Amino acid sequence: MLNRALKIGIVCPYSWDTPGGVQNHIRDLAEFLIAAGHHVSVLAPAQDEDGLPEYVVNAGKPIAIPYNGAVARVLFGPVAFSRVRQWITNGDFDLLHLHEPAIPSLSLLACWAADGPMVGTFHAAAKRQKIIFAIGPILEPAIEKLSARIAVSEAARLTLTDHLDTDAVVIPNGIYASHYKDAIPQEQWQGNTIGFIGRFEEPRKGLSVLVDALPVISRFAPDVKVFVAGPGDSTEILKSIDPQLRHRFTFLGKISEQEKANLMSSVALYIAPNTGGESFGIILAEALASGACVVASDIPAFDDLLGHGEFGALFTSEDSTDLAKVVIDLLRNQEKRSLLAKAGQARGQSFDWTLIASQIYSVYEMSIVGSAKVKLTSDTRSWNRFLSKDDKG
Amino acid sequence: MTRWALVVFLLLISLWYLSFLATRLDRLHHRVETSWANLDVLLQKRAAVALEIAHSDIADPASSLLLTAAAYQARDAEIKNRSAAESGLSGALGLLLEDSQHLATAADNALLTELSALTDKVRVAIAIHTDAVVRTQKVRSKIIVRFFRLAGTAPLPVTYEFESDVL
Repeated sequence: MLNRALKIGIVCPYSWDTPGGVQNHIRDLAEFLIAAGHHVSVLAPAQDEDGLPEYVVNAGKPIAIPYNGAVARVLFGPVAFSRVRQWITNGDFDLLHLHEPAIPSLSLLACWAADGPMVGTFHAAAKRQKIIFAIGPILEPAIEKLSARIAVSEAARLTLTDHLDTDAVVIPNGIYASHYKDAIPQEQWQGNTIGFIGRFEEPRKGLSVLVDALPVISRFAPDVKVFVAGPGDSTEILKSIDPQLRHRFTFLGKISEQEKANLMSSVALYIAPNTGGESFGIILAEALASGACVVASDIPAFDDLLGHGEFGALFTSEDSTDLAKVVIDLLRNQEKRSLLAKAGQARGQSFDWTLIASQIYSVYEMSIVGSAKVKLTSDTRSWNRFLSKDDKG
Repeated sequence: MTRWALVVFLLLISLWYLSFLATRLDRLHHRVETSWANLDVLLQKRAAVALEIAHSDIADPASSLLLTAAAYQARDAEIKNRSAAESGLSGALGLLLEDSQHLATAADNALLTELSALTDKVRVAIAIHTDAVVRTQKVRSKIIVRFFRLAGTAPLPVTYEFESDVL
């Protein structure tokens, strides 16, 4: 058992100041490790130098590129590469933890530049793309430098085996489960209410599926209300809603973590109608932990997270009729709702950071065994050895 | 003149590529060794914990005998018998744990928790090791690697066959 404090370098591929699952995961993990007494440095691109936590090192301004159905704010290029090398040299790390090293980003650069114990976490789940035949041979030598690979979900693991022909250990994303368990239900959000949280402007979050289902739902549950929380402009969405139903929607805007937990624990049903591009569904894990009864689309990540319907109800993805059916059934059946919520809450606790972080840490331990510190690679290492042998002999 | 420059350039590129492949292989072999060392340590620890369990109150005399034998076998097994021996230990532990959960006292529970933590680690270590071995085999099967003997004298790593689940 390793009990000494480690120097851990974490690379975040996406812009630190844009909200996102990967960034949140890295922030929580870094803070957890720091609290456990380790030295952590996170290298991340950022728009704005101000307001970065102490442990984050700014690598420069990110560039926006379309990736996996969304816009990814990443950073690469020669300048970034030299910053990565500098960070590795200065850091004197025992271990590097690279997130999403298979996309063009800081993580891939770090994977190229470094030599030594490295752990990679793969978050994305995507369908097999033809392009992988072209980029596979380039990625392969870099990816195989990782001493251990972690996938955040079964879906992400399948993507990895499919795309890069390599296996990974599944360790889900962590949440502060106790924080959600202790949420206080608010009266204004209770009743026949439906909750939705996320960047609703993005089509893959699937708010439109819920909007399409509402006419049917409101026929059977006339007093139904929908609370939508998350950053974005609601005018476009409101325009697409039947004027008679518009008053049923309340857009709460961006809300705090505490409000989020309270909202989840208050509403009768929490709905995640995402149409894809989701690999784990951290928001669902949080909703489960808060004791909400969850309804989600049956995309692989959610199906897996909800235990094929054991911990929450599933509906056919992108099918608003099916969604309406499931919602109406649950709104009418208080008993079924509380049973699902109870099973879900127990499930949610299993994603608590204390459990998740110790799993990640034991992967760290295994990567470190027998290896020296992280240093810069030299692709001419065999030459060097050849030369140094000559020197000796 | 330009033709010669091109030839030299291509030659340099291919030399660089060969050296790159050799480095890559070297790294992979190193990973195979370290991941094996790591797995070996964990398996030894597991055998030790199994022995402790055999001597504790969890085990009845018959299972204790079985477990002790299996643990010693796993500890002393040579590489080629290792897999069978470890699987035997897994089986013996599995048998015992199945009906001991509700009998265990607090002190025994600590042992069982240690065992389950170890089992989780062994599982991860196996995954890491297997991956390193498979990767190495793959790169070594490339024609260019075989032709130029880039692997040098390093023995070809063999996949360590584990029963699908450790416990």
